[in-house]
Amino acid sequence: MQGSSRRTGTMTDVHRRFLQLLMTHGVLEEWEVKRLQKHCYKVHDCNAPVEKLEDFIHNINSVLESLYIEIKKGVTEDDGRPIYALVNLATTAISKMASDFAENELDLFRKALELIIDSETGFASSTNILNVVDQLKGKKMRKKEAEQVLQKFVQNKWLIEKEGEFTLHTRAILEMEQHIRETYPDAVKICNICHGLLIQGQSCETCGIRMHLPCVAKYFQSNSEPRCPNCNDYWPHEIPEVFDPEKERGAGLSKPSRKSLRPRQL
Amino acid sequence: RAPAAGDMLPKPRSRGRPSSQADRDGGRGGDSRAARSAVAEEAPSTSRGAGGSQDPRRSSSQGGRPADAPLAVGPRSQKQLELKVAELVQFLLIKDQRKIPIKRADIVKHVLGDYRDLFPDLLHRAAERLQYVFGYRLVELEPKSNTYILINSLEPVEEDAELRGDQGTPTTGLLMIVLGLIFMKGNAVKETEVWDFLRRLGVYPTKKHLIFGDPKKLLTEDFVRQRYLEYRRIPHTDPVDYELQWGPRTHLETSKMKVLKFVAKVHNQDPKDWPAQYCEALAEEEDRARPQASAPSQAS
Repeated sequence: MQGSSRRTGTMTDVHRRFLQLLMTHGVLEEWEVKRLQKHCYKVHDCNAPVEKLEDFIHNINSVLESLYIEIKKGVTEDDGRPIYALVNLATTAISKMASDFAENELDLFRKALELIIDSETGFASSTNILNVVDQLKGKKMRKKEAEQVLQKFVQNKWLIEKEGEFTLHTRAILEMEQHIRETYPDAVKICNICHGLLIQGQSCETCGIRMHLPCVAKYFQSNSEPRCPNCNDYWPHEIPEVFDPEKERGAGLSKPSRKSLRPRQL
Repeated sequence: RAPAAGDMLPKPRSRGRPSSQADRDGGRGGDSRAARSAVAEEAPSTSRGAGGSQDPRRSSSQGGRPADAPLAVGPRSQKQLELKVAELVQFLLIKDQRKIPIKRADIVKHVLGDYRDLFPDLLHRAAERLQYVFGYRLVELEPKSNTYILINSLEPVEEDAELRGDQGTPTTGLLMIVLGLIFMKGNAVKETEVWDFLRRLGVYPTKKHLIFGDPKKLLTEDFVRQRYLEYRRIPHTDPVDYELQWGPRTHLETSKMKVLKFVAKVHNQDPKDWPAQYCEALAEEEDRARPQASAPSQAS
């Protein structure tokens, strides 16, 4: 927890360019963040050694503190990949979206959020979400339109879609965790290992405790007889693999670079 | 109980939060929570996020503030002002993303509310943060217009484009071409001439374009609304013709020299190959370098 005794860091153009570009994404995977950091160093300060990412971000966060924003690190719920998101600490959780979406669109998101939190799997089906479309506040929305709004949420990285079902994007979890825990204290699920908000995960069929998939992976790593940490019953699910950044780097290299065809921007 | 959808509404804190969270966090006893909500209540709120400011996690650092701190119309604490500035900074960043100039009236309505009397001071502080933290200059579009835009004080670099999340806009290419045309033709060009030129590039006013969509709407509406272009009717013309010039945002964001260099690059030539334009661009550079007494700049 940041104390007011933390010395505020210094911003240079390296940090500013980094922040500007990070803002265009909202959320990025760790390897992308490192690449962004390297790029900013290259543009401004070729000779300086690239600061360790953790320290680099810590430095920026100390400056962002007075603006009630933070670059928060999280982990994807499905495969444990580290990600970074720029989150808003001051205003109510939905308000960042409030500037981009209309009243009825925000209400659709709220409805979807509730369905996701109440669901057993952490996913809400498109059908169930669309069924509440006539209960929305604001201008009347047709189902067809609602489908497009849901896609907008996906594009803006608030929701993830998998096979016609929707869950929260890690970014939404990072940004809204506190708000969700306060608003739905009875319905929220919590991970038994990390005690963080849980949307997707595995659960013990005997005692009901839940764990994030990456938390399961770490906890049961190289354990041939996984048992529930709470009731000691045999853990009935497949144990996922721990995320390995080295393996990911191999995959990252094969990503095509996006060449810009546009002339220099203004 | 299953929370009603209404619970998710950003409501003023006085409506109360679900009671069951009282014992969730060991650090917040009943009394201190009451004090904290009282404190949160008078914290400034945006009209959109009517829930007021959710207390930042650093609630412990607010411990020094008395529970009977005055309402927003009275003297405001440093913390409240800091929060207002933070909201204002975020508002300006989000609004500018869409390239629509931000009006003072909107700032007052959506962010400041009761703090409107502090507009100059809060805007000045927000401008300072925007420059120091993000590298954006808050600039008034035209003197006394009470409309603001953000100018990037960092030079865009080619590789930035590959690392952006929003791909910038493909329409920027079209804009650059038109800005170049306007400058090369003496700073004003008839709309008919613009289409004659663009036709050669396969861009038509009446035909949908694969990249630019609706070019006519772009040039005569979107870019005008964003203040990149000015679109004026030429009087006494029959059939009616319009004139296109650079808009105030263009003058702030770029320069004649930069546009000339772009045009030169496209033709694979040197800017000096157009002596008249080159002189004009130089003169503008010298003009800008000279400190001006009446220069419209930072909001103050």
